[in-house]
Amino acid sequence: MPLFDSDFLKKLEYLSLISKRVFRGSLLAQRRTMQLGTGIEFADHREYAPGDDFRYLDWNLFARHNELLLKRFQEEEDLHVYFLLDCSRSMAFGEPSKFDFARQVVAALAYIALADLDRIAVTVFSNDIVADFPLTRGKGRILALLKFLENLEAQGEDTNLERVATGFIHRDQRRGLVVVASDLYDPNGFERGMDLLRHRRYEPHVVQMYDKYEKDPPDLLGDVEMWDVESGNARKVTVTEKNLKQYKQLFDEFQTGIQNYCNRYQLGCTRTSTELKFDELILKMMRQAGSIR
Amino acid sequence: MSLANATALWWVLLAVPVVIFYILKIRLKRVPVSTVIFWRQIFDEKKPRSLWQKFRHLVSLFVQLLLLALLVAALAEPYFSWEATSKRRIILVLDNSAGMKSNETAPTRWEKAKEEAAAVVQGLRFRDEMAIVAAGTQPRVVCGLTGHQKTLRETIEATPATDGPGKLADAIAVARRLVSREQAEGESRIVVVTDAAGPDLAKVLAEEEKKPEAERAKLTIIKVGAPAPNIGITQFQVRRSTVDPIGYEILVEIVNASDADSPEFRFELSLNDDRPIDVVPLKLKPGETWTKTNNYTTAEGGQLKGRLTVKGEKGSEPLADALAADNAALALLPSREKLPVHLHAPGGNHFLTKVLEANSLVQLTLSKKELPKDYPAGSIKVFHRETPAKLPPGNIIVVDPQNDTELWKLGNKIPLAIVTKQEKDSPFLLHVRLDNVILPDARQIAFAPAAGKPALLASSLQNEPLVALIERPEGKVLVLTVDLDRSELPFRTAFPIMIMNALGVFSGASGELRESLATGATADVNLPEGEFLLKAPDGSTRPLPKGPIQTTVGPFDTVGIWSVTGEKPVEEFAVNLMNKTESDLRPDETVTTIASAQDAGLVGGFGGRPVWWYLTIAAFVLAALEWYLYQRRWIS
Repeated sequence: MPLFDSDFLKKLEYLSLISKRVFRGSLLAQRRTMQLGTGIEFADHREYAPGDDFRYLDWNLFARHNELLLKRFQEEEDLHVYFLLDCSRSMAFGEPSKFDFARQVVAALAYIALADLDRIAVTVFSNDIVADFPLTRGKGRILALLKFLENLEAQGEDTNLERVATGFIHRDQRRGLVVVASDLYDPNGFERGMDLLRHRRYEPHVVQMYDKYEKDPPDLLGDVEMWDVESGNARKVTVTEKNLKQYKQLFDEFQTGIQNYCNRYQLGCTRTSTELKFDELILKMMRQAGSIR
Repeated sequence: MSLANATALWWVLLAVPVVIFYILKIRLKRVPVSTVIFWRQIFDEKKPRSLWQKFRHLVSLFVQLLLLALLVAALAEPYFSWEATSKRRIILVLDNSAGMKSNETAPTRWEKAKEEAAAVVQGLRFRDEMAIVAAGTQPRVVCGLTGHQKTLRETIEATPATDGPGKLADAIAVARRLVSREQAEGESRIVVVTDAAGPDLAKVLAEEEKKPEAERAKLTIIKVGAPAPNIGITQFQVRRSTVDPIGYEILVEIVNASDADSPEFRFELSLNDDRPIDVVPLKLKPGETWTKTNNYTTAEGGQLKGRLTVKGEKGSEPLADALAADNAALALLPSREKLPVHLHAPGGNHFLTKVLEANSLVQLTLSKKELPKDYPAGSIKVFHRETPAKLPPGNIIVVDPQNDTELWKLGNKIPLAIVTKQEKDSPFLLHVRLDNVILPDARQIAFAPAAGKPALLASSLQNEPLVALIERPEGKVLVLTVDLDRSELPFRTAFPIMIMNALGVFSGASGELRESLATGATADVNLPEGEFLLKAPDGSTRPLPKGPIQTTVGPFDTVGIWSVTGEKPVEEFAVNLMNKTESDLRPDETVTTIASAQDAGLVGGFGGRPVWWYLTIAAFVLAALEWYLYQRRWIS
């Protein structure tokens, strides 16, 4: 069954319409950038300095107060939305796999952004950056994006978000929104990578996904050979009720840790089980109006 | 300690695959996980920290081997040497006589006895054996020596209470034989569960006392029930009236088997439940016996029923005392049909005419001159003096023949014949005594070959036939060579009885009165050709030998009407308790008894189980323990 079928595209269109009708002004391109420049919306004044463009002098103010003040305008520009998509092998876990789910979510968000005349780019990573879909604009590029996503495969060993963020921030590109779609199972911790993004004035938004069996593992009691799909390592262990209880506690703590981190730095955060359909997740994100500023 | 089944030790070889599998280990289930970040935190925190941690897998093997060892040991059935020497044989004598149906001990003495018997069975130890002997009606080994408790319990449950007499002495004798047969090793004991009523036990104990110590049986008597007052019919017999062919004499005996005056009650006698014959109000003193003989005349026949009742609000109600079986008694009266008899007596014979006329069942026709050409259908022909040369078919009585026939030739007269030989077992001469009866001018008679070999029922000193019976295919011929006018026979009671007997035999079994039987009795019955069943009052049946055969049926162990049935009913028997001992529900206080199996020390506790049983339990406990430890992952 293809990942992006006609039904998927219909859902994308529907989500795009919903975003325009209901959430107009609160999503992506409708919001203003923090940069001042040439626009039509007045921002404030500043004193004239030699070399300034005379066209922006406020002559009315000069007539009243005999002061040369320069009108400043908020610069209108396209929002750059970067998607960091995790394609590590751990993402291939679950039914449906987290990777499929992540690709659908990224495709949907990208479509909405493109429909709002924003620019998007997709960076695929595992232990390092694996592939890139270059910055692009216009709804017409969606098919190319979908084809790009469809051709991706889960690969690579342990997720290393720090290395990925390092590579990402060193690129010559404009700041913007960075949507990180991952399970965040980084053995070294996801926080370091996110910190790098924040410090470089990107605005990270975390979309963390997990499978229901990760939250509540079945058939694990007893003597088992635990096989890490990401690293390929196997380990013979005896899982007791107590161990299982500990696991669930650690998993919950991990989830809470993600939420706390995002809250602490006012980052957008969406945690979801892959049981939820991608369109429902997008609608949920839309309802969290402040989550995408 | 020895092993009863040492070959079972081969099962210990199963330890080899257990160890092999332990060494090889079963391939573990492979479970993919998306990340081991969390599991690493869990398992890396708990490093193998103790000797136990290293040792626990060995414990698993040890537990498995111990489990196997326990099971193998159980299969080998080990036993201690003292178990073999202390092996007991218990012969349980269960009194299931009528008195055990007494209900003064709820629900009945019999149910209580079964409880005690079951308790004794439960108290059997490993290697003990028990046999069960039922003592009611007829002593019977209902279960041979076995140690299988389930079989014993089922036998006790399946043994019915009877209405028969208790045969404790015989049953104990049977038990003694069982004990002596198996006396080779171990202790033997006879346990009697009874109500201790009746004199049997006291007699048995007295006889035991007389025996040398070594020969005495270890007798334990467990008594069930308490003394209970009871009124019962102990006799209920009917016989033909000696003066009236369709009359009956009914003997009734009622006993108050109690130490107190009886309540007021009635004895009701009725025919077929709808024709009252007699109602007698009664109140008996302690131990009093009331007897009465009733006369009753009927040709109809049916069920004669005597019952003890009390006057209730809506008429008679059954007397409610401890034992119901003796509160009613039955007798079967046969239906009497008219018997056509033709008497040909030239010039008439007063004695024969009067004898036949006196029988109210006889439908008499007479011919005094010429021999009739035809006779009434199915009639018995009586020829006095003149006899047709060719005798007609059917049953015939010939008295004082004066002419030859195809069956005999007459000889000279015997001047003074005296009966010296008489066939006492012949039904023709039942209750008839002809000894020394003088029969003057009796004719000598020589039977022709056509008569075959006639039976001489009575003969003279010279062995001349005086009363003979000729069996022909077309009917019997009874010949009396007696001159009635000159003989003293007509003046004796023997003559009408003999004639009535002859009429009775010739008319067949119908109308024969069968006396009521007491429970425990048997009866002889002639079965015609075919297959037959003995049907009990409760509807259950027992097969009888294939006819034609004369066989004995019974012993009858319940009161009521028993019947022998084939394609159609052959015969019926009225069976009543009619037993003073069983009606007396007061135990013999002179007999030393024990109140219960518990008091007799025959009820076992947790002990008394075989070693294999404990080993199996230990194996189960170990399996449960291993399961618990495995669930807790203390072992794997």
